Amino acid sequence: MKRIRKLWGWLALLVVGVTLIGTGWATHQAAVARAVPHRTKILFWHEMTGPAQQELLRLVQGFNRSQTTYQVVPEFEGNYNEAVQKVIDTHGTTASPAVFQSMDISTSQLAHTGNITPVQKYIDEDHYDLKQIAPGARAFYANRGVQLSMPFNTSQPVLYYNATLLKKYHITPPPVAPTYQDITRVATQLTDRSHHKVQGMTVEIYGWLFEQFLANSGEELANQHDGHTGTPTEVNFTSPGALTAMHWIQTNLQRGIFVNYGAGANAQSNETASFLSGRLGMFLQSSALIGQLTTGNPDRLGISDYPHPVGKRANGVAIGGASLWLSNDKSAHVQRGAWDFIKYLMTAKSQAAWQVATGYLALNQRSAQTPALRALFRKLPATRVPGNQLRATAPNQTNSGIFLQGLIQERNLTQTAMEQIYQGADPRRALSTAQRAMTSYVQNNNRANGYQK
Amino acid sequence: MEMTHKPFPSPTKAKSVAKERPRGFNGHRHDKYVAAAFLGPSLVVLGIFVFYPMLKTLYLSLFLTNNVGRPTVFVGLKNYGTLLASSAYRASFQATLIYVFSVVVLTLTVGVLLAQAAVQKLAGIRWFRTIFSATMGVSVSVAAIFWLFIFSPSVGLLDQLAASLHLPVINWLTTPGWAMVAIIVSTVWMNLGFTFLILFGALQMVPTTLYDAAAVEGASPRYQFLHVTLPMISPTLFFTATVTLIGAFKSFGLIDLMTAGGPNNATNLMVYQVYRDAFLTGNYGQASAESMILAVVIAGLTWVQFKFLEKRVTYE
Repeated sequence: MKRIRKLWGWLALLVVGVTLIGTGWATHQAAVARAVPHRTKILFWHEMTGPAQQELLRLVQGFNRSQTTYQVVPEFEGNYNEAVQKVIDTHGTTASPAVFQSMDISTSQLAHTGNITPVQKYIDEDHYDLKQIAPGARAFYANRGVQLSMPFNTSQPVLYYNATLLKKYHITPPPVAPTYQDITRVATQLTDRSHHKVQGMTVEIYGWLFEQFLANSGEELANQHDGHTGTPTEVNFTSPGALTAMHWIQTNLQRGIFVNYGAGANAQSNETASFLSGRLGMFLQSSALIGQLTTGNPDRLGISDYPHPVGKRANGVAIGGASLWLSNDKSAHVQRGAWDFIKYLMTAKSQAAWQVATGYLALNQRSAQTPALRALFRKLPATRVPGNQLRATAPNQTNSGIFLQGLIQERNLTQTAMEQIYQGADPRRALSTAQRAMTSYVQNNNRANGYQK
Repeated sequence: MEMTHKPFPSPTKAKSVAKERPRGFNGHRHDKYVAAAFLGPSLVVLGIFVFYPMLKTLYLSLFLTNNVGRPTVFVGLKNYGTLLASSAYRASFQATLIYVFSVVVLTLTVGVLLAQAAVQKLAGIRWFRTIFSATMGVSVSVAAIFWLFIFSPSVGLLDQLAASLHLPVINWLTTPGWAMVAIIVSTVWMNLGFTFLILFGALQMVPTTLYDAAAVEGASPRYQFLHVTLPMISPTLFFTATVTLIGAFKSFGLIDLMTAGGPNNATNLMVYQVYRDAFLTGNYGQASAESMILAVVIAGLTWVQFKFLEKRVTYE
């Protein structure tokens, strides 16, 4: 009997506890709901991690405090690749975002879904001064004069070198716009003079870098002028620009002045770790890495433009990163709020803060005059290089990205070809196989979407 | 008391029950309703979540899909033809077979050895039993990070060990052959906890009287293991082999986190290719065809297992 009474006691305590917790939670929820009175919710999907995510959330807070009509609600959506599919799959439901960040190579696909409102609509309505945004970045997300989305986190591929090591071994640094030969010279000297203690150079097995070799040689990867004048029907991975670059890498591998770090996220972290510990002299990579390469690096960081073939002028490289898109499945009021948010992110002040915190480039031309960015340039003059490279590039059809659907597949295939070439395969053969597979993919995709019979 | 060891009625008993009620299912109407009431809910759930997706996959595999994933152009069996003609897909098929075969054989062998070691009555053996089954409590992502640290070329445990012993340093995850070894080893390690626990349970159920009798006959421990232990645990071994085989075909997490199918597609197993085609490149038609092939292969091999291996299983 005693035991049963005790049991009742425990049960009563449990009921009281659950009720208390439940009431507390409900009150908290109500408070959260009250905190945003009469504001229109703008759902914003992004894929930023680490310091970039923190800075982005800070900017979102700044926008929410700057006005009282809208409340931007940021949601992290995992990696770039998966986010594109999620955006497409949720379109037309209440779960879909009003504004979302999507990677560079999804541009053509998203434009063709018919799910988006081109930002051009609001640029025209507001007479927004588009000239304040860097032309090289804008061109990537525009098609036939229509601005589809707003470039946001933007990087440039650059050459990084360890300036302290070069000085130690009395090596002249590569010029601002180096050729393949210039880089080979520095890599050879570094390897020889350090008696192989320092590895000369590397290029990650990465489809984005492959595309840049073609862009900087002024050659098309897809027909129809990289898709800027019509729907591409075939690709070309075996142009002289591609073969020259791959031969250059293969020869340097055989000479022992080039190290293969493989592909994928592990490759990037391994090459970065080697560079920071002074065991790797030079590598090609995104300018978004600057922050990581300058903090806690005892050596001085050198940065040059992306290399180009000997005897040719550098055509300029395409940007990488992601842009901001407006979904057309939301009311005009919501879309307007999403556009206001984009405008806030693109102000000179927001963009300067963004570059200082992340290493992505400030796209607003007036950001350079802000105190934040001027302080950064004074402290680390090399951080000017990627921005200069972007400004020096006159956008044309081969350096403004490839307007083609299925670029993820293109990167998979060129990456596989690069892996084979790094392991000694004949570049023309490896690239031809990839080219055939991609052309067949493009033609199937065109048929499925009704662009081509 | 005898019955408590046999939770299920023996086959002969079941038959006699059936004889008492010869009309069974066709008999009373009432029985049909009862049966429908019990089976209905699970049939509905299976229908929605298993049969419908299966049929839909078959349907999608006959189409090209557009950029929002809708089937638009009917191509018949062309998706299958493209796959079978592709050397990359055949390589993926081959890699899958090597992976699955190695994982099943190694998991069972090491599992049996660990279980056999753990049934010994020694001081502190309970600690080992806990340790051997511990991987059951490890999630795939944690395991992947753990193994990435071991295989890392610059800070990895294995390569530091190799360097200190003046052995050649291996780039585990960036050399095609070694990457396969690396994911096989980590998968087997992940599987061991479950396999060990099941086999350990089976070993404990083997009546000690059998061993006593064998010892009286003068059988060596090796003979006892081969002719007493293995036949007695063969139903469990068969179960574990089937489950491990199906599980290995569906391995995804470790591969995604450790190699992402690389280097040079060396660890791009069939199920990973399905994921890549469906969720990275949005090629749903192709991915559906790959799923169908994978389902047929798994079903076929499971059938082979039942057909040929089950004959060697001794049920008590």
